[in-house]
Amino acid sequence: MTTTSLLSNVRIEKYLTRLQSSLRGVAEDDKQDILREIRAHIVDSAEHAPDPQSAIDRTLRLLGTPEELASRYSTECQLRRASSSFSPWLLFRTCWNWAQLGIKGTLAFFLALFGYGMALGCTVSVFIKPFVPKLGLWTGPEGFGIIIPDHADRMHELLGSYFIPVIAVIGFVFAIATTQILRWMMRQRTPRVASTAERSSQLAQVQN
Amino acid sequence: MMAIYIALQGIVPNNSNGDRGQHWEAQLRKGCLEMAILASLWQSRLYGLEILRALSEKSELDVAEGTLYPILSRLKGEGLLDSEWVEAEAGHPRKYYWLTAPGRRRAREMAGAWNEFADKLTSLVQPVVGGK
Repeated sequence: MTTTSLLSNVRIEKYLTRLQSSLRGVAEDDKQDILREIRAHIVDSAEHAPDPQSAIDRTLRLLGTPEELASRYSTECQLRRASSSFSPWLLFRTCWNWAQLGIKGTLAFFLALFGYGMALGCTVSVFIKPFVPKLGLWTGPEGFGIIIPDHADRMHELLGSYFIPVIAVIGFVFAIATTQILRWMMRQRTPRVASTAERSSQLAQVQN
Repeated sequence: MMAIYIALQGIVPNNSNGDRGQHWEAQLRKGCLEMAILASLWQSRLYGLEILRALSEKSELDVAEGTLYPILSRLKGEGLLDSEWVEAEAGHPRKYYWLTAPGRRRAREMAGAWNEFADKLTSLVQPVVGGK
């Protein structure tokens, strides 16, 4: 198989087309650069192989599906931006993408969901309070939490007139703590190295 | 409210700037792939497949292709690597990577910390290896 025929190989083209459509959030110039590099890599891998077709199969397998590869590119790109960002929305979106790559990302996503959820809940409560005076931090038979009790006479409100400042501070603390922990987790991430056993298993699957 | 949020973020100790240079040291103990990639480019410019082969032949680090390229992209984004497309005799261009000045500095620091870490660990495991 010549270089020219490799360059127009249907399987490579299909792979690159899927990769292109999956590379969301990557600048167009970077996208074209990535596609060009992956194409060059596949062609290089197959060029001098005794059986180019199986070499292409093996390389495509080791690259992962186009969606997985695109996700790694997008996530690397997003993680780099997010790890130095204070935007909860960017951090949350990045965690969502990161969660699809492994356990650490999943943990980060649930942390983001909980932390920002609490912060949002506190913020909403602060804004609602002036219009719904019964909203408060209640404890009693109906439970404990920021609620509007059905039977206020049987419940005890803990914060009274301090509700707005205290809940606002708690909301800020949740937002800040979540942001800082997520940024720290993103900076601590480690790239994935395929174990020799894993790689051997991948190669065996291709050969079979 | 957003202004207060940003202001409060500013007063929380932030490792991403001041301690950014030390961050790799913690990473080093968890994964040496970044250091290995930088080290593979110490002596010459290489393209992706050559980096994979260098990692595999010199350090037995079998890195999946799908892992390497996004990392190269990140290292380039962080200014540790630079790249250039070169028309090859093979008939298609290849993207060659090389270390930038910050990349060389980072590679040297990582290698130094790695040696120090390895020396200490070696002395720790010596009795285990010697069966004493």
